[in-house]
Amino acid sequence: MAKPSINAKLQDITPYRQQILSQPLAQGISYQEVQDHLANLPRSRFPQTAYNNKGSSPLIQPRGGFSTFEAQLELTKQLYSAGADFIPLTIDSCTRQNQYDTAANLLQRSEEEEKDYLNGYPLITHGYEITRELYRNIDRPISLRHGTPDARLLVEVAIASGITEIEGGGICYCLPYSEGFPLDRSLLYWQYVDRICAEYSTKDAPIHRESFGPLSATLVPPAIAVAIQIIEALLAAEQGVTSFAVSFGQTGSMIQDLATAKVLRKLTRTYLNQFGFKAVQTYLVYHQWMGQFPPQREKAAALIVGSTIISSIISADKVVVKTVNEALGVPAAEVNAEATSTVQYVLERFRYGDIPTESLTSPQIERETALIESETKTILQTIFDLSGDAFWESVFRAFQLGYLDVPFSPHNDNANKLISMRDANGSIRILEKGNVPISDQDAEIEKSLLASKHNKSDKTYQQLLADINIMV
Amino acid sequence: MSNNVLAKYRIVLGVIGDDIHVVGNRIIQLALEESGFHVFNLRTRNRPEHFCQAALEVNAHAVMVSSLNGEGEYWCSDFRQQFTNIGMGHTLLYVGGNIVVGNRRQEDVVKLFKQYGFDRVYHQKPDISATIADLCKDLKNG
Repeated sequence: MAKPSINAKLQDITPYRQQILSQPLAQGISYQEVQDHLANLPRSRFPQTAYNNKGSSPLIQPRGGFSTFEAQLELTKQLYSAGADFIPLTIDSCTRQNQYDTAANLLQRSEEEEKDYLNGYPLITHGYEITRELYRNIDRPISLRHGTPDARLLVEVAIASGITEIEGGGICYCLPYSEGFPLDRSLLYWQYVDRICAEYSTKDAPIHRESFGPLSATLVPPAIAVAIQIIEALLAAEQGVTSFAVSFGQTGSMIQDLATAKVLRKLTRTYLNQFGFKAVQTYLVYHQWMGQFPPQREKAAALIVGSTIISSIISADKVVVKTVNEALGVPAAEVNAEATSTVQYVLERFRYGDIPTESLTSPQIERETALIESETKTILQTIFDLSGDAFWESVFRAFQLGYLDVPFSPHNDNANKLISMRDANGSIRILEKGNVPISDQDAEIEKSLLASKHNKSDKTYQQLLADINIMV
Repeated sequence: MSNNVLAKYRIVLGVIGDDIHVVGNRIIQLALEESGFHVFNLRTRNRPEHFCQAALEVNAHAVMVSSLNGEGEYWCSDFRQQFTNIGMGHTLLYVGGNIVVGNRRQEDVVKLFKQYGFDRVYHQKPDISATIADLCKDLKNG
């Protein structure tokens, strides 16, 4: 059996790092110099400080990345002024796929024509020195938002740039973002990322890691998302990460959101403690609706307000915000800043206070909580019981066997046997469990809850489309 | 047209650029198949030449290109020309999704992609059944 263990920690990574840093695009990065740069940053640039000083409301995190330095600087200033607690740096999709030449060509074209040909900031192409300038006067943490299965070089450049929060993980940045990137390599490359985050961390200024719970953001049953979040927290803890946020995306059902938050918070702590990682600080992040957004600004604004209130009710530590132009493509800086101030407005005016989430309950919420908890535990126990030398190997095998199965993942290694749909109240139900090892009893509950749905369309694609487009 | 008739029509489908958004692609595949078409799905991360090769290989009647992250504009500018170059200039070319980066006027985007040689342009038109109706009409008019 290969359970999570501190013994899985990579030992001397120096030769490995020299290999990564010998690439021409990493030119100039020196461990000592980066360490000094981080030591000289104000503590307010680190997520742990932001989380420690937060009041009762969730912290606010927009997303955003533009091709050119100038556009990114303008966005950074606007989001800062609008009150974002975390400043985002979203990376373009060429860089995410390690296609640095394409990224460089498209950046050049963007600069020449003053038009965006990239859907994010090509950090590796710009390099760490100029990127530090983006944040010269910023006293809040910078968050790297991407979707990169092999993020070794990207994260080296990010930390060298003074970015202290790294989103991602071997599963959550491979399964939803790549069609063919081998999952085992992604898991190993993210061990490296976790390890260097740990190496650069100090006790009062850790490099913070965050997992990406929404996954494909399309009818993902909560138990699958929760299990994967806990696995990524454990894999990061194995490499010495001490500050970690688990996350999930708005499900489309308030009952399921409340239940998911309860189970995710509780079980993350339980399993970290069980495997000897008591010292790891954990936080809960809530993503506003990650599925198809309504194109009408009024409806989009209403959706953003609704999910802001949910983030408060579930006592999220941070909320990742969307904009009213979500359905229309990459939003302009002004629109992004507007979204940030709207969320701040809602959080300040609809204060939920310090009422523990546990006290907010109903028979439906209790049933949902028990179901997600039972399913998650069964899935995780089955993975812990798989043979293998290391926990990451068990995780890899779990995907090969279809024990973990993410609906609508584009990845070839995903089983695609699990089929999920929404029930009458909008909760995501498992119609066919495929090889996912939930108990027969839980599978029956899922099916019986789904049977309560009256409005059955005649075609499968229409039913799925309606369920996917629930917010449109 | 009935399902039996539609089954003879071969449709090449795929997402262009480094875009990995697969949900719409899956749904379109399912919708086309449920309507009776013979679908060849290239899924994600395709270049124009991948669509050309596939269209040539299966002797496609129509090619449907999608983009959600806006990369369409960069990759599609000589799409029709590339099909003409391989002797497939007669193929119906459709494009849809969020096909340009940023907020641009619908009519400007349609005009741009028609210039690139597409027969139908569905910029931010999520209703796939309208596209399927157009496809049936265009195929019938041959």
